[in-house]
Amino acid sequence: MVEIIVGAIALAIDAGAVILIAAFGELLGERSGIFNMGLEGTMAMGAVAAFITVTNVPNPYVGLAAAILTGVIFGSIMGFSVVALKANQVISGLALGFVGTGLARHIGAPYAGMLLTARFVKLNISGLSDLPVVGRIFFNHDPVVYFTYLILPVAISFLLYHTRHGINLRACGENPAAADSTGVPIQRIRFLYACVGGAFAAAAGAYLVLAFAPTWAEGVTGGRGWIAVALVIFSQWRPNILVLGSLLFGITTSLGFVGQIQGWGAYSNILAMFPYISTIILLAIPGFLVRTGRRKAGTFPAGLGVPFFRENSG
Amino acid sequence: MTVQPRALSFRNLRMVYYPVVSQRRIILFRILGIGLALILIGIFLAIIGHSPLKLSAAVIKAAVGSSYGIQQALILATPIILTGIGVSVCMRMGVWNVGAEGQLYLGAFFATIVGLNLKTPTLPGLLLMFLAGAIGGMLWALIPALLKAYADVNEIIPTLLLNFVAVLLVRQVVVGSMRDMSLGELFASHKITYQLPKLFGAYLHVGILIAVVVAILVWLLLKYSLWGYEVRIIGGNRRAAEFAGMNVFSQIFSVFLISGAIAGVAGMIEVAGTAHRLSAAISPGYGYLGLIAAVLASNSPIGIIIVGILYATLLNAGIVLQTQGLSTHFVLVITGSILLFATVSEMVAHYRIISTVEEAEPCETLPEEAVESVISTTLQASAERITEDEAMGEKVHG
Repeated sequence: MVEIIVGAIALAIDAGAVILIAAFGELLGERSGIFNMGLEGTMAMGAVAAFITVTNVPNPYVGLAAAILTGVIFGSIMGFSVVALKANQVISGLALGFVGTGLARHIGAPYAGMLLTARFVKLNISGLSDLPVVGRIFFNHDPVVYFTYLILPVAISFLLYHTRHGINLRACGENPAAADSTGVPIQRIRFLYACVGGAFAAAAGAYLVLAFAPTWAEGVTGGRGWIAVALVIFSQWRPNILVLGSLLFGITTSLGFVGQIQGWGAYSNILAMFPYISTIILLAIPGFLVRTGRRKAGTFPAGLGVPFFRENSG
Repeated sequence: MTVQPRALSFRNLRMVYYPVVSQRRIILFRILGIGLALILIGIFLAIIGHSPLKLSAAVIKAAVGSSYGIQQALILATPIILTGIGVSVCMRMGVWNVGAEGQLYLGAFFATIVGLNLKTPTLPGLLLMFLAGAIGGMLWALIPALLKAYADVNEIIPTLLLNFVAVLLVRQVVVGSMRDMSLGELFASHKITYQLPKLFGAYLHVGILIAVVVAILVWLLLKYSLWGYEVRIIGGNRRAAEFAGMNVFSQIFSVFLISGAIAGVAGMIEVAGTAHRLSAAISPGYGYLGLIAAVLASNSPIGIIIVGILYATLLNAGIVLQTQGLSTHFVLVITGSILLFATVSEMVAHYRIISTVEEAEPCETLPEEAVESVISTTLQASAERITEDEAMGEKVHG
């Protein structure tokens, strides 16, 4: 039993990392005022790019780089559409999502069922990894997991709250007109973070196939892009709560695996619903707290989803 | 000193945004955008080694070259039109229902439960299935409505995530309690005995008529009823509607329930008319195609019917594409690109390129360069005046 619980927690950390990478990109994008609904498609494209690259060049880091490049391309299409031309963000995002998902399935079709030989290897920290319970849970992951949980949150918090660039970035999302009047290049920052969001989403897709589920299957992303968008809303746009949300998501995912080990295979579809249902419940918590008066409303970036026109800002 | 030809100089041209442009211009640009999307897809196909001309010829031949093709396209169009109409009801109020897919699955699920357990004559049986389908879709749409009304949750994410849950739910019942073991490897329910009557030909059933009737009903309701008036006003300006005393809270529920019911009916038509069995593969993404149709048609019911039929033709062509070595997912790529290009080109329609050197078109905001030139001439003039003054002073004092 202990064995199963330990395995489940270790798995939860890995599953959470996939979401967390994508969600950080979305968080930065939304803080700058870009609501990217196409995360799922970009993630799928990142996954397929990484998969194909690694089948040809057996090095996971090369695959990750290829995925990031793909993500930047998708992000720049998004940026061109919603920042340069100021098209509707929801429709553009959904459309790019469809294109990405369809294209990834199309390109990936010949690779269905193939297994990747080169993937991220678990670090073996001498002494620590061999500890009975703690070792399995905390010291038996690949480098990307440590980077995602230990370095990224600190780096992103520092960027957002302790640098001038971070202030400019948040100002873009909160009040672009005011930011513009102080000389912040709104369009440039928003375009940049549309690309950054794409890169993070694609990296998450790459990590998915390079460490979490190293075979190619149609729809390998399985709605994780949408869940990442949902978790950003749950976190109320704060990096530290985002880490918590991703871990919660990871735990619900690993419950499904625990169920299968326990022989509840007949209900595997019900178990697979857990992540989606729990995400929907998580999403309702902030609003519910506000409604019952337990928290103040509104950390919602006020300029989120609103294109910026200098002409209209008066 | 040589004079540079200035009219052709790129730097004197400027894109100016016009907030209000004519509807005709928007539609023209939209059509151009869709054309551009199709051309780009053609180029992409040519690069990966398919002949776009041969493919489109095959597509057109399959779609309109035979009675079978036309019937098939109309059958495929039915759920797209219905989900599109459902989505458009929500969008009229500025609410996104991305969950038509899940509502369709729930409608199909509920209709199947009723259809498998009834022993009545055909007509009452079908009517009960119809009702069950509508109720199934409504229940599924009630969840995001409750979340939006009571916890201020943006509806996009819950409606979307519930699609995954709905498909999993249907998959669970068809591998479990509802499974028809005689099908072997295929997971599907037992055959439903109630079938929608055929319209003409061997395949086409009355589903398309139901879709058209629903489209007309929704159009009439939105245009002439008090409910439709309130929905349109809330969609236009929510705060103004609140000040006018309209109950936005209850309208959130009404649009979601009607939207869900229509999508649920689409699911009922699928199980009672087309598939005759419930399975997890009952929809290849009709709900999403419906959403795209509603967006492209700007929520106009006639537009949704037209776009729905066009998309159904494309989807039908997907089967042809498959025989030509392209996966059906390519249809998703095509529809997605069309949506993106149509949206972007609609924005492009708002821009006009004007020259800032020749007499500029009158517009509300002065182009930056014009302002700059005014400033520089003013500065120059004042600088000249100063030097003149200085010269004058020198003259006086000197």
